[in-house]
Amino acid sequence: MPPAITAEQLSKTFRVKVRGPGLRGAIEALLRPRYRDVHAVREVTFRIDPGEIVAFLGPNGAGKTTTLKMLAGLLYPTSGRVEVAGFVPWSGGPEFKRRIALVLGNRQQLVWDLPPEETFQLNRAIYEIAPAAYRERLAELVTLLELGDVLDKPVRQLSLGERMKCELAAALLHHPPILFLDEPTLGLDVTAQEAIRRFLAEYRDRHGATVLLTSHYMQDVTALATRVLIINRGRLLYDGALDALVARIARTKRLELVLGGGDGVTAETLAAFGAVKSFRFPNAVLEVPRQEAAATSARLLAALPIADLSIEDPPIEEVIRQAFTHGVEEDDS
Amino acid sequence: MERWEGEQIAEWGVRNAEFAMQGRVRTLRIPHSALRILAALWRLNLAEELQYRANFVASVLGTLFWIGTALLTLALFFRHTTRLGGWDYWEVVVLLGVFNALTGVIEAVLRPGIGRLAGEVRSGGLDLVLAKPVDAQGFVSFRRLDVWRLTDFVLGLGLAGYALSRLGRVPGLLQLAAFVVALAAAGIVVYAIWVALMSLAFWFVSVENLSVLFDAVYEGARYPVTAYPGALRFVFVYLLPIAWTTTIPASALTGRLGPEIALAAAAVAALAFVLARLFWRAALRRYTGASG
Repeated sequence: MPPAITAEQLSKTFRVKVRGPGLRGAIEALLRPRYRDVHAVREVTFRIDPGEIVAFLGPNGAGKTTTLKMLAGLLYPTSGRVEVAGFVPWSGGPEFKRRIALVLGNRQQLVWDLPPEETFQLNRAIYEIAPAAYRERLAELVTLLELGDVLDKPVRQLSLGERMKCELAAALLHHPPILFLDEPTLGLDVTAQEAIRRFLAEYRDRHGATVLLTSHYMQDVTALATRVLIINRGRLLYDGALDALVARIARTKRLELVLGGGDGVTAETLAAFGAVKSFRFPNAVLEVPRQEAAATSARLLAALPIADLSIEDPPIEEVIRQAFTHGVEEDDS
Repeated sequence: MERWEGEQIAEWGVRNAEFAMQGRVRTLRIPHSALRILAALWRLNLAEELQYRANFVASVLGTLFWIGTALLTLALFFRHTTRLGGWDYWEVVVLLGVFNALTGVIEAVLRPGIGRLAGEVRSGGLDLVLAKPVDAQGFVSFRRLDVWRLTDFVLGLGLAGYALSRLGRVPGLLQLAAFVVALAAAGIVVYAIWVALMSLAFWFVSVENLSVLFDAVYEGARYPVTAYPGALRFVFVYLLPIAWTTTIPASALTGRLGPEIALAAAAVAALAFVLARLFWRAALRRYTGASG
């Protein structure tokens, strides 16, 4: 099966005006404009197979959205090759656009003063969906997203979570095989985030859609994505499974303890075994070098009254942060 | 003298028509699906607008007030003269009616549609349009129909009709047809000016309010183009073609220009449309970074 998305040596460079501070800078920029090249995306190469859900991770300004826009055909790359659903996005025209959905968490296509169904009807006309197919798909989306009682309320009266669900429904009525989702859970509460994650997984399973999403919420990533692409300063740092990344770059393990017996154990006692991350009797968390985790556990069990002990990987956020600051080279030290 | 100038303009327009038609006609073809999308969009707006019936009253009052002040200003002018650029009072009122009718089209369709382009380029809202399988220019231009503002259109035509009766002229069928064509052409010219102006937003993202620029230029269309000194008249006929928006349709209606002027108007409209479309495409290429 050919890949759903292919990007080869994809680069995007923006020319931006450089402006000094204050009035002087403004006048200088007007009279003698100076430009600087900003390399938003540099030689990024990856491949995504049909039916995969891939998360795109990176700090703000890393190049995630720029890459997404190139894949969706909104931006021409400076160099490199892209193929999405068998099309070159920026020259694919309407035929290509019928095969993708683009959802941007901070922008909305729903008409503010009208019920969401009105926007759905508009998209029905735009994507030329036959009436029978439209009814069937709408019914499915309404069930999966639990939209039953919001369809006829004006959008302005909906909660943020309900609005995002409707945005997703509007974007999926034409059954695109490829979904580009930029921060689909931005600003939502935990329940709404959870509902959207469940929906996306279910939708992929039913229709075999390929999903590329960016998110700041690690839960989105761990719950949905089988694979992550980590990008920083325009460069692709990592492409692979999330747990493999943790095993590769996490320098530490966490020992989570539940102390038994009296309260004779203090933070100082624990500090002899490793870095104390938190201590509130009877719970304590120690961080120790990865390769010493087993030995330290044994020493702890021998020396202190311990009711329970477990060895965990550090939180995924921390691993990712580490990847951004130190790269993803294997830690040999 | 004026007559001669009208014929000269007509000839120029026909010459341009030939250029405009060269292989560019296909850009004027409207696919069936576009009409369906338009119907869906306007149905949506209608549903939205009907919630606010007070807008209708406000719109009518606004229009009447505007027409009132415009007539008053005109009356002040005519206290000192009997002609304005060779036009007498009621002829200028016909022109005011046409101006007001076009204002209705601008306020109902153009300003709420393509007029919001600059803000959307800045906010990135345009991306959602570009991701859809639609012609972006058409979608952005005609996505809104603020139906109540069409009262301007109706009242404007009413004013033109009343002024015409005060002139004691009953236009023949050919003259009426010429007026309709010239008015449609005027609408297209106004549209083309909007597209060209708003496309500037792709280059100068920080331009705050491009529609103010349009208003400044369009102010010039409130008076017959013959009232302006030669250089300005040249600009309004050939460069910033606002003469074609009011002076020409009004002249066709009052019989000041013969019905053949409609051909020239149609040609100018076609040319303006094609140029605006080319400009839009160049602007969009820049936005997406296609022009390097």
